[in-house]
Amino acid sequence: MEIRKAVITAAGKSQRQLPLQSLVDRDGQTKSALSIIIEEVLRAGIESIAVVISPGDSGAFRSAAGEHASRLTFIEQQRPLGYAHAIHSAAEFTGNDAFLLLVGDHLYLSHTGQGCAAQLVALARAEKCAISAVQSTHESQLAYYGAVGGRLVDATRRLYQVDTVLEKPTPTEAEQKIDVPGLRAGYYLCFFGMHVLTPGVHRVLASLFKENAGRETTVHLRAALAKLAESERYLAAELDGRRYDFGVKYGLLTAQFALALAGKDRDEVLRGMVELLATNPTRH
Amino acid sequence: MGSVLIPLINSPDGAVRDLSLDGRIAGLSAAELIAECDALDVFRRTAPNLYERVRALFFLASIHRYHLPERIAGDGSASGLIPFHGFEHLLARRFEEAIEVFLEKQRNDGPSDAICSALSAAYHRLAFQTLADQVRRSVRTVRGNQWMFRMGHPKDQPLRFRSELLSQDAAGTYPILRERTPVRMDLTHSAWSDIFFLGMDFPEGAKVLNISVDLGVHKRDAEPQPPVSGWLRVIDRPVLRLVSVDLGAAAEIESLGEVFDFAKDYLGLLKAAVIASGVVPPGIEGSGQSLGDLLAQMLGPGRGIELVSSVNDIPKGSRLAVSTNLLAALIAVLMRATGQAESLTGPLRESERRLVLARALLGEWIGGSGGGWQDSGGVWPGIKLIEGVAACDTDPEFGISRGRLMPKHHVFSRDEIPDSARRALQDSLVVVHGGMAQNVGPILEMVTEKYLLRSAAEWIGRKEALGFLDGIIDALKAGDIRTVGRLTTENFRGPIQTIIPWATNFYTERLIEQVKEEFADDFWGFWMLGGMSGGGMGFIVAPHRKAELQDRLQAIMSQTKKALSDSLPFAMEPVVYDFRINENGTFADILNGDGALMPKGYYLLLAPQLLRRDPKDLPVHIRAELDRFASACRTKPELRGVVQELFDSLLPRSKSGGGGSESLDELLTENGFDPEAHTSIRADMKAGRIGLAQNRLPANTVIEDVKPADVLMVGSVAKSDPIRAGQASLAAGEVAVVTLAAGAASRWTQGAGVVKSLHPFCKLGGRHRTFLEVHLAKSRRTSRLAGAAVPHIFTTSYLTHAPLSRFLAEARNYGYEGPVVFSKGKSVGLRLVPTARDLRFAWEEMPQQTLDEQQQKVRDSLRAALIRWAEATGEATDYRDNLPLQCLHPVGHFYELPNMLRNGTLAALLRERSQLRTLMMHNIDTTGANLDPEILGLHLESRATLSFEVITRRLDDRGGGLARVDGRPRLVEGLAMPREELEFDLTYYNTMTTWIDVDGFLRALGLTRQDVIAGDDAKITAAIRALAAKVPTYITLKDVKKRWGHGQEDVFPVAQFEKLWSDLTALPEIESRFIVVPRQRGQQLKEQAQLDGWLRDGSARYVEELCDFGG
Repeated sequence: MEIRKAVITAAGKSQRQLPLQSLVDRDGQTKSALSIIIEEVLRAGIESIAVVISPGDSGAFRSAAGEHASRLTFIEQQRPLGYAHAIHSAAEFTGNDAFLLLVGDHLYLSHTGQGCAAQLVALARAEKCAISAVQSTHESQLAYYGAVGGRLVDATRRLYQVDTVLEKPTPTEAEQKIDVPGLRAGYYLCFFGMHVLTPGVHRVLASLFKENAGRETTVHLRAALAKLAESERYLAAELDGRRYDFGVKYGLLTAQFALALAGKDRDEVLRGMVELLATNPTRH
Repeated sequence: MGSVLIPLINSPDGAVRDLSLDGRIAGLSAAELIAECDALDVFRRTAPNLYERVRALFFLASIHRYHLPERIAGDGSASGLIPFHGFEHLLARRFEEAIEVFLEKQRNDGPSDAICSALSAAYHRLAFQTLADQVRRSVRTVRGNQWMFRMGHPKDQPLRFRSELLSQDAAGTYPILRERTPVRMDLTHSAWSDIFFLGMDFPEGAKVLNISVDLGVHKRDAEPQPPVSGWLRVIDRPVLRLVSVDLGAAAEIESLGEVFDFAKDYLGLLKAAVIASGVVPPGIEGSGQSLGDLLAQMLGPGRGIELVSSVNDIPKGSRLAVSTNLLAALIAVLMRATGQAESLTGPLRESERRLVLARALLGEWIGGSGGGWQDSGGVWPGIKLIEGVAACDTDPEFGISRGRLMPKHHVFSRDEIPDSARRALQDSLVVVHGGMAQNVGPILEMVTEKYLLRSAAEWIGRKEALGFLDGIIDALKAGDIRTVGRLTTENFRGPIQTIIPWATNFYTERLIEQVKEEFADDFWGFWMLGGMSGGGMGFIVAPHRKAELQDRLQAIMSQTKKALSDSLPFAMEPVVYDFRINENGTFADILNGDGALMPKGYYLLLAPQLLRRDPKDLPVHIRAELDRFASACRTKPELRGVVQELFDSLLPRSKSGGGGSESLDELLTENGFDPEAHTSIRADMKAGRIGLAQNRLPANTVIEDVKPADVLMVGSVAKSDPIRAGQASLAAGEVAVVTLAAGAASRWTQGAGVVKSLHPFCKLGGRHRTFLEVHLAKSRRTSRLAGAAVPHIFTTSYLTHAPLSRFLAEARNYGYEGPVVFSKGKSVGLRLVPTARDLRFAWEEMPQQTLDEQQQKVRDSLRAALIRWAEATGEATDYRDNLPLQCLHPVGHFYELPNMLRNGTLAALLRERSQLRTLMMHNIDTTGANLDPEILGLHLESRATLSFEVITRRLDDRGGGLARVDGRPRLVEGLAMPREELEFDLTYYNTMTTWIDVDGFLRALGLTRQDVIAGDDAKITAAIRALAAKVPTYITLKDVKKRWGHGQEDVFPVAQFEKLWSDLTALPEIESRFIVVPRQRGQQLKEQAQLDGWLRDGSARYVEELCDFGG
């Protein structure tokens, strides 16, 4: 299975400005978050990238993408109908190909030489199926993420066969419906914000949108992935890396620290932090 | 040789496991039994399976309670001592340690009656503790409940309130989410098979036919409604506002600690719901975190929750599981609000209902109560079969218990039970609340024990009950309600009463008799609801007479209750209900805009405070809400009359007819209250000169066990013939019986204030008999045997005199041939609010039974509240805030005999029968006491003034005993023991039964027969006062119930003083003797929970043989 295309979603109401923020990357260069994401994608061997944006945002995004702008296809999500709809807006772009899907408000930091996206794409190529990156997450964070249940199929590569997908479950629901052997009590496999999906997902989404026509309810990617799991092989993988959601409070700051502490300016940043701690009056 | 009993527990053959313990050990000797006990004790320590361990424990408890004492009686082992440190272990719930201590004592000294009683209690409690622990573990391990125990910080709270509840309208009003839930009735519970322990061990036998119903009070409510509801909304204050409309209580909770403080107020159930729903998860208890932060995490900063519970006027004890279903409704509304149920409104899905059930179980555990496993039945719709489920290897219970904690529910479809059958049931069934609210807990323990012992008759009964369930379902499917009625009656008469004779009572029997008489063939059957009868009950009747029966039952119940109100503990006026099957189960809707109003009672409770405030100070949204309410009052028919009620609560009317305080003063005057003595006692108590600590003898008093020569043994005097002497005295008419019948059954009914002597406590000779009848029946038998009628005197008090004399007049003295005389009490005291010092002494200094962890927390919190109550009300002030009769107290049985002198009873007796020489005085609950010629003979031969009957001590015989005090044998009250442990060194326990030499007693008073006959009041009073001055005054605490609302009760500890009869043994001028009598003669019945053991250990049969019920 070849994976040459990627879709980055950045059309969400609260997401629109986030990829445009500036961060200092591991190499000490100041870049937009979008550039950092694009570089992550490119390292995975992706050739063409679509960014799903709100109407009218293309100028800002093009400028934030800098030297990578020419590689990008901008797809405007005409109506704010949610994440699944944003993905489905890129159906034409992905066509009959499998594709890498990322959200525009997360940064990924790998613990190995291979980037997170590259790890995921390599796994998908090897397994020839849809695969979602997941991270073992404490139940207190369940309100923010989708969660999956399933059985371990490869302990070394930490691969799971997915049988259940829940959208931001309560721990009550998670405890009842999600079973993942081998995880600590109170931890669940939650989405990492990164998937490799097959064209099948667009077929499922199309049918879900059709069923939902005229109703007020939103179609969730969760529902599509749950259906996908019924019809084709669908895996989840724990990657060697961490995600940083810079859409949450202090998220951007945390992401910046993570980047800096993993990069060449680590000592300088640490020095600055120690100085800050030493000189700042204690809060009471 | 291997054990013959262990196979009854672990045999692979079900038929062997179902053999009864009693049958299997029938032929075993004492030594063989002890060997079996040793084997069982080893087995129960090593058996891997929980229920095998528990059964072994119940076997051990039963052998030590019922079988071993019988085997060792008469071989000199009857007496024995219980090591105090073993008892201390028992109080602290260190059951294993207690068992070790008692077993070591048994190994060293051989078996004794005393040590058997201690071992039996320890094994029994360990068995229940083991079962309860398992239920709790299972509750925690139910999927969906586990996370709540892991969550310890507000930032970890994963729940969020649904956005629909967070949006305000223009007036600032948040929507209200309302959950309305029916209650449940069980057409049969297959002999209490819904007890968790049974369902988890015998899942195939755990079956309940359970119906969700709406209720209305007949002729008051327009139509039946779901009786319980939970209401929830977001508020703009970071607090938990809890309001119980049904209990009239409201509180704003600002700290996590308060949420876990259950007994502080009446909001324990709401708090349990908040915790069990995960809103304040149990794992956060004691974390020191802030409730505001936790609320902010779920709702956003500055916001809080208002949770309101409402019960549509259904009283406690309805046997309809009102409180469990209310808990379930509250949990359901909170779960919906936090996204733990998919739909915010409408019915719940099956998986969600099951989760509500699991959470309700958790909530009941947290709140320290425990319902049956079918009790949340109202959450499900319509008619359902609830069954136990065998645990499989994926269940947390697997390998521990045979069944799962949670049952499965099969809701009968319209195809299975058609609409016509449902209608037919509604057209024939009259549901009532008989007015009694009794604690069903002891019954559930008895059922569990009998099941685990496979007691023969009870085990057959259990299997029969399952047959009834099948029959009732078939009849219901066929719409044959007449057969349903026949079967529920047969079930009640058959298996239910075989297993628990106490499931029925005299009141219920009277109701059934009267309905049967009036409705003859149209009365199709009686149906006991829940754990016992007397409260919620059903009467099934031909449909064309249902309306008539509803009217008649109201009258029949009220009249019967009136006739029996002195004998039985009624909590409220009986009620007849209208009911309707609820086909929705629990159901929620959302109230918006003008409709966003809380239940009526909420405004009656809270509006007065708001209306007293300056309207300018009221927040806009509250003013808007009051506006909406005012406008609704004008337009909504269900709110008609509310304005008047609101006015009444704003300006409470003065109590009509002078109220309680005047009648209390009248009563005090009428009953010989001595205000001077009272003032002095009150001052002494306030100053700390008298009190619980001061009741005790000086710490340097030497208290030792008596020597063999200090007591007389029945059957041990060889050189004389006491029996003949006794018979002669009886034949000469020299003896009379004095039964102390002044008591208000405070322990018997937990302070309900009924007349104990009139309680029809047990079926003897085929009928329910009152204590009064039993004592007269013994005197009848004595009179007939002796050929001379025995005078029988009942001493009475302000509480009992009128009801007793009325009752005996109506019953024509139960046909007793001899004289029946009342000796009316002439002394009364006024209870006092206790001092905090005495409350602390009683609860902190005295050894206390430690409860199981959660119950202990609840008790600690309650006690702290009661100490605050005493301090706020005024320590050592008069206790007047209750019914007048509950404020008075008897002043101790020291005065019982002196009263007979003061009120002329003894004078009349002496005038009529100058030969009268001896009185036998005994407590109302010493049912085995009779005029035994041998004991009488022993008393006469000893020439003592007072001969006290004592028995060897068992674990439950607490409160002093026979001792050598500084070298002199006398009785010491428990109150006077300088140290608690001293009591455990005393072999004998006082039964209070006393043989009194009339002339000797008069001599001690400095009086003669002539003085008594002459009735010189001043002389007699002075003599009594002089004698009274020689005996100590004790301060005691008594639990008094205060009733309010709909069958609600509070129990307050109040202080009173008393002087005790047994202290006369300390006076050297009174010659006292002590006679050791058999236990069955001296056993007192203090608590109803004793009755089952009393029946099973042969005591009831012993008493029956002493009686002649006439006719």
